[in-house]
Parts: sequence; C-alpha cells; structure tokens
Amino acid sequence: MKILVCIKQVPDMESKFKLNSEGNWYDNSDLAWRMNEYDEYAVEQAVQLKTQVDEADLTVLSIGPDRVKEMMKKALAMGCDRGAHISDDDSFKKDPYEIASIIAAFAKDKEFDLIFTGMQSQDRGSGQVGVLVAETLGIPSITTIVDFAFAAGQITAKRELEGGIKALIKTTAPALLTCQLGLNTPRYPTLPNIMKAKKKELLSIPVAELHKVASKQETARMYFPEKRGGGLVLEGAVGNLADQLIKILKDKTGVLA
Amino acid sequence: MEFTREIYWNVGSSVGVLIPMYLLTLTAFAVLCYGFWQRVKVYRLGQELNRTDQLDRRIIDTVRSILLQSKLLRVAGPGWTHAFFFWGFLLLFIGTCLIVVQADFTDPLFDIKFLTGTFYKLFSITLDIAGLVAIVMLAGLFIRRYIVRPEGLENTKDDLLMHGLLFAILVTGFVIEGARMAVTELGTPLAIWSPVGLVFAKAMAALDHEALRSLHKTTWWLHLLLVIGFIISIPFSKFRHIFTTSANYLFADRGPKGNMVTLDLEDEAAESFGTAHLTDLSWKDIFDADACTVCKRCQDRCPAYATDKPLSPMKVVNQIGEVAFTSPEANLIETVSTDVLWACTTCRACQEICPASIEHVNKILDMRRNLVLMEGEFPGEEVMTAVNQVEVNGNPLGIGYATRGDWAAELGVKLLSEDPDVDILYFVGCYASFDKRNQAIAKAFIKLCMAAGVKVGILGKEEKCCGEPVRKMGNEYLYQSVAAENIALIKQYRVKQIVTTCPHCFNTLAKDYRDLDFDTPVEHYTVFLEKLLGEGRLKFTPGEAISCTYHDSCYLGRYNDIYEAPRALLAAAGIKLNEMIKSRAESFCCGAGGGRIMAEEKLGSRISETRVKMAAETDASTLISSCPFCLTMFEDGVKGAELEGQLTPKDITEILVERLEA
Repeated sequence: MKILVCIKQVPDMESKFKLNSEGNWYDNSDLAWRMNEYDEYAVEQAVQLKTQVDEADLTVLSIGPDRVKEMMKKALAMGCDRGAHISDDDSFKKDPYEIASIIAAFAKDKEFDLIFTGMQSQDRGSGQVGVLVAETLGIPSITTIVDFAFAAGQITAKRELEGGIKALIKTTAPALLTCQLGLNTPRYPTLPNIMKAKKKELLSIPVAELHKVASKQETARMYFPEKRGGGLVLEGAVGNLADQLIKILKDKTGVLA
Repeated sequence: MEFTREIYWNVGSSVGVLIPMYLLTLTAFAVLCYGFWQRVKVYRLGQELNRTDQLDRRIIDTVRSILLQSKLLRVAGPGWTHAFFFWGFLLLFIGTCLIVVQADFTDPLFDIKFLTGTFYKLFSITLDIAGLVAIVMLAGLFIRRYIVRPEGLENTKDDLLMHGLLFAILVTGFVIEGARMAVTELGTPLAIWSPVGLVFAKAMAALDHEALRSLHKTTWWLHLLLVIGFIISIPFSKFRHIFTTSANYLFADRGPKGNMVTLDLEDEAAESFGTAHLTDLSWKDIFDADACTVCKRCQDRCPAYATDKPLSPMKVVNQIGEVAFTSPEANLIETVSTDVLWACTTCRACQEICPASIEHVNKILDMRRNLVLMEGEFPGEEVMTAVNQVEVNGNPLGIGYATRGDWAAELGVKLLSEDPDVDILYFVGCYASFDKRNQAIAKAFIKLCMAAGVKVGILGKEEKCCGEPVRKMGNEYLYQSVAAENIALIKQYRVKQIVTTCPHCFNTLAKDYRDLDFDTPVEHYTVFLEKLLGEGRLKFTPGEAISCTYHDSCYLGRYNDIYEAPRALLAAAGIKLNEMIKSRAESFCCGAGGGRIMAEEKLGSRISETRVKMAAETDASTLISSCPFCLTMFEDGVKGAELEGQLTPKDITEILVERLEA
C-alpha cells in the first residue's frame, strides 16, 4: 500500500502577527513555526494505517521554503518513510487551486492508495486543498473525518456535521481524507525515531517542475479586524453593581424600554 | 588478688571445645561470604559507575558516619535509640574480639594476658553497661515497632528475627556471666565491676554450683549458636544493612547535588535510553535497594506520599530490589507504575534525609527518560502540549517567543543584542518572562539592581527555557537542544556573570550546563543581592511590621544549601519570620518541581494547598518564597485552601523593593 500525507508549516497561533509590506499576507519575522494542527492528525492517521497494514510505504509532502524541512523531519520521526519537499519560497502567494495542482502533479503517476491531508490550514484556512487534489486526481474524498477504519480494502470514516451529528461514509481506495480535531492524538516522536528520521530520504523538488497552472484567486488585502468596543467589568458591592447594570441597560440598549 | 577472669571458665579450652567452636565460626563466616557473593553477582547486573574516586575522603566520611551515627541522628527519637544500641553492640563486639585475641593468640602463643588489673575492671564494667544499654535500646525499638507502630512502618519477619536474635544473644550473655559470677565472684571486690552480671548472679545464687555450672555450659553453647545464627543470617536478612548501609556511605554520590547523567544521545550503539529494565540501572542503584533499612524516613517526607499519591520513594527502591533478586527480567516501569513515576516532584527530601545514602530521585528520572525517549509517553496531554511549546516557542506556557522580553520595556532594560557590555546577564526564565504574576519578580529584581547601580542585560526573545522542566519530565533530547542554544548565545555575548530569579534555572545553568561545556558563573538572586547588601550597595528601611513565614524552595535549599542568604535579606529589610514546622532542609515542596509545573495534579490532594496550610498555621499573613514556580503554586494554593485575604504569597524581591531606602 502506498500512502501520501500532505502537511503545511504554519506560524504558531500565539505568535505576534504583523502584516507584510504589501499588505496581502503576514510578515515572517518573529514567528515560531510548527506543523499545521490538522496535518498532525493526518500524519498520525497515516502512520497508524501504515502500522496496521503490511508492506506500506508512507510519503510525506510539503510545499514551502527550506525551513519546512524541519517540520517534515518531525513527520518522518513520527513514522513517515520518505519526504518530498516541494521547494517554493513563494508558496504563501499561491492559491488553493495552485497548491492542489502541484500536489496532484506530484501524485498522479505514483498510484497512492490513500492520501491524507488536514481539513484546513491554521493560517489560510481555505479548506479547499484536499478536496481539489482529490478532484484533480479523480478520486473520492471524505472531508473533516473524526474516525477512520480500514479493513479488507474498505475505508469507513465518520465525518462531523452540524449540531453534533456524524455521518458514516464508506468508500474504497484510492481515496483522499481530510482530518479534523478528535480523529486521534498525535504521537510524540521517540528518540530512536528522531535519530532514524535524520537518515530518511528527504528530496527537494523545485516547484517549477510541478507548477503548471495559473491561480484562480488572489488575496487582495489582509488586515486586522477593526477594534470594536471591549468588555466592561463592573466592580464593587452587589447593590451598586445592580444599579450600574440597570443604568447601562437603559442607556445603551432597548431591553428595558 | 588479681583482677581478671578465667576465659573458657567451666567450658574449658580443650580441643573438644575449640575445634567445634572454630569450625562453627569459620563455617558461619564462609556462609556470610557466600551469601554476599550471591548478592554481589546481582549488583553486577547493573551498569558500571565509578564510585571509588576520592577514596581517602570517602573512607574518612564513611568511618565518621558509621561511628558517629550522624545520618541517623537527624531524626532524634529512633536515631538516638539506634545509635546507643549500635555503640553498645560495637563495644560488645570489640570486647569479644579482645577475648579472642588473648585467649586464642597472645596467651597460648606468647603467654601474654592483657585482660587483667585495672584494664580488666574497665573492660568488664564497659561491656556490662554496653550490654545493658543495648538491651534497653532494643526494648525501646521493640516498643516503637510493635506497640507504638508509627504510620507507614512495615513489619516483616526479618524485623522479628532481628529483635528476637539480638535480644536472645544479649540475655544469654548476661546469664553466662551471672552463672560464672555466682560460682566465682560473688562476695569478691571484683563483682561490682560487672554490675549487670551481679544482678543475674544474685538471682541465681540459690542454685548449687553443680546446677550453675551445668546452666553455664549449656547457655554458653546456646549463646555461641545464636551468634553463629546471627552471622549466617546477615546476608539473608535485613541484618545485611550492617554491611550494605555502611558500604553505601562509601559509595555515596558526592555531588554536585542533583546531578544527572547527561546522556550521549548521538550514541549509535545505544539501543535504549533511560531505565526500563534492571540492567539499565547502575550497580549502585541495585546496591541501594540492599542498603535500604525500610526506615520510611523518605516516605514520611515525600510530598506526593503526604498528599495521597501512589509514590513512596522507599517502595520504589524496594521494588527495584525485589525485581533484582526475584525477577530480574521484569519491566521496572510496569512494576513501579507510571502513576508513581510521574508523581515525583524531585524535591529531594527523600534523598536528603536518607540515613543510608540512597539516591531515589535519579532512579525515578531515569525511568521517566525511558518513558519519554523510548515510548513518547507523558503524564497527560497538557504536559505533551507544554513540551511541544518549549520546542516551538521556547517556553512551556505556549506564549509567542517574540514577546519574551516585553515585560522589561517600561524599565529600559537593555538587551544583550543591543549592548553586551553589562555587569550581569539576568537569565529571566519562562515564568518571570511570561506569567503576569511572576513578571512582578523580574521587575522588582531589576529595580533592586538599578538601586545598587548594577548594569543588567537580558537576552529578551533570544532566551529560551533553560530546559529544566522538560529534563525532569524525562525529555533529555529537548533539554539538550534548548541548553545548547542558550549556551551558544551566552558564550557569544561573553557574559561574565549570570543571575537568575528562578532556582530551577539557577540549578540548571550552574550545574547541569557544566556537562555541556559551559562555565560562566551563575548565582541565584538571593545570593547576589546579599553580596550587594554586604557591600553596602543596597540599603533598606524596615517598613511596617508584617508577620511572615519563608518557604525554602527545594532547588535553592536542598539542591544548593542556600538557606541563610534569603533570611539575611529579609532580616535586613526588617522582616521577622515565623518558621513553618517544615523548613530549611526539611522544607515541604510546593508541588511544582520535576516538571510538575506543567502537569495537572490529578491524584490525591493538592501539594500546594497542604503547604499553604502549614504557612497559615504560623499565623503569618505573608508567605514569602524565592522561586517563580513556588509563587505560582501558592497563588493557586491559597485559593484552593480558601486562605485568600488571610495569606498573601510574595517573592523576596517584592518585599525588598517595597523597603528600598529612598
């Protein structure tokens, strides 16, 4: 069985974000980088599947500048067999269609039985890449899975719907799955696996070899949400608080009118 | 008349006596050696470890610890009882040896008898009193063990054997003496030099000489057999502690305190890291189990045990012994259990008090290393998240690394990247950098330095976690990588002196980093400020009198023996302390050590609440500490224990800065 897992490196969401000079993306300075949270679930599920079936080969793919290799090593340490780094310093400028096309171009002649991706990235959050890869390759996709099982060629996945309802979906390989929080708990790489990962194949492919389409979207502008009125904390004796609250409700709302 | 006695009186020194006696004795010693050899084979299953360096110092300290019983006397009641028993028994042993030397060597070979005259009188009365003291102490220990029954003291058949055998040996000794005296010494001036024997003699005086002689001879042989039994049972019972505990003084860890082995993580030949099986331990770790006397002093002081967590340091050591001698293939981690291993706060109270020089903490940490490095296991998801955050943002709190130095902006503190020419580098640490409450410590420390005219620099966003919490949680790999980054950075700025406000950072930079080729001097702020105080550069005006108590942080106190500097600073600021029942080396951990600051306390009651209650018992209104971890735990603890408003946790720096002379 051949498995592909696609991962993206994103800034830690606790970072202090600034806009870049063009005003169309965030600035890269002072950011701590890590693996996209949903992609960690994808890697974990791929590794679990690999351990479950015999004779599996698991490739991890990521598009981005050289620094993404650090994160790819973590995926290799978690249990991926080989890494394909699509080297692209401008990956952040590409729209989901271009990114999906690059992945599809990489995957098309490699006959992957299963492809795992995160359900979306924490920075751009389009949620489109996985689905677009599946469409381009002409294989079925199941999005936002929270449960996954594979037995006798049959894939059984649960996906989250609105209001806590889950859908049970079955299909057969080849297929693509996008992973959601709750699917699993990503493992912490063990030291021997970290050491082994350093010796695993990690090839860099120039993006130009795979990038053959034009973008369909453009990020026109990126901006911080406008500051609206903040919360108000009332302090003091309970009687006072009630009076203050009533005054505010009278002055600023119509609920007491 | 000549003051002496006939050795082998009534028994005779014929071949019929001497040959069986010496055969029995030699056999007993042969069995003793065989018994220990069997155990040595088990010790040797462990990894190599050099514990015979500085041998002269080791021997001197060992002899001193044994003869003075100094480690035992740190707990007065049972300590003195054991010590007097030991001294009594030691004198009896020496006395017996003198008899052997005269009766079987100097007398038959050279016709020299030295047990005569005044020396004999002193010899006689000394042994008599030694025997009495030993019996009384043994009775005291018996009452403690079987009638008082202190909580947690376990009674095994070994204890019964020891009490029975020792008691029988001592009493039969006096019966022999009494019977001999009843026949030969009653009414002579010599009798009063054996006062205890005299009591026995008088009690038996009604018997005729024939009966006394027969009683004497029977008891003599019985006494001999009991002693033979004693010698034989040493390696097979807790009696072995006579040798193993003493030897453990010789092999004791000679520091630096709290030192852990810095693993060679690049070692390609290493198949496994940390301890999962007996053979992963050092021989000393296995030997420790044999040196343990199950006195439970460690358990009595363990904050995890005291708050109903499954950990008892004594039991961990005993379980290692059990595995070693009964099922050496067993998985140690499964035997000890992960809940036990994760419960340790590495507070070192166990190790500090241990009268047998056992090293509890590193055994636990080595098993944690195996869990993390080989299995990727942590006590909970929150810990894994915190560890990941150290990797990504260089701090376990998960705050963006770029804001690490923001607290200092308003104070105009220079970053070393702007100006590396400073008197000291303040290594701020994660909590004082990011935690709102603890930033007060950092700010107060800067103000104190400014008042003393010390030029301080910080690393700002370049600083990373010192690695202590993750190292103590078992993640040696991550520790070494953050340590290497910090070290490279600090070396690049050619820093002359580092000061920390966190005792964990202090211990790590000052000791652990030494293994990683780092030798910049490091001080904790209490020591640093005390020096400034001594130089007259810091002056305080005693403000309003507040009732305070001081909590000794484990990593400042037990790990580094810094007890006076914090108290001297507080005294200089006019603070009088009500000490808690557990202070200084006996201080009770706040619960945050050993990386537990990153973990939820899911088992038992809260360690921090237990500690703040101890502080409240002193009627103090302020609980002063000198560690950001402690302060964090106490802020939670006073809320949990519903002492808010009644007890205010503060750091020494906060107290000092309020009382700086204007």
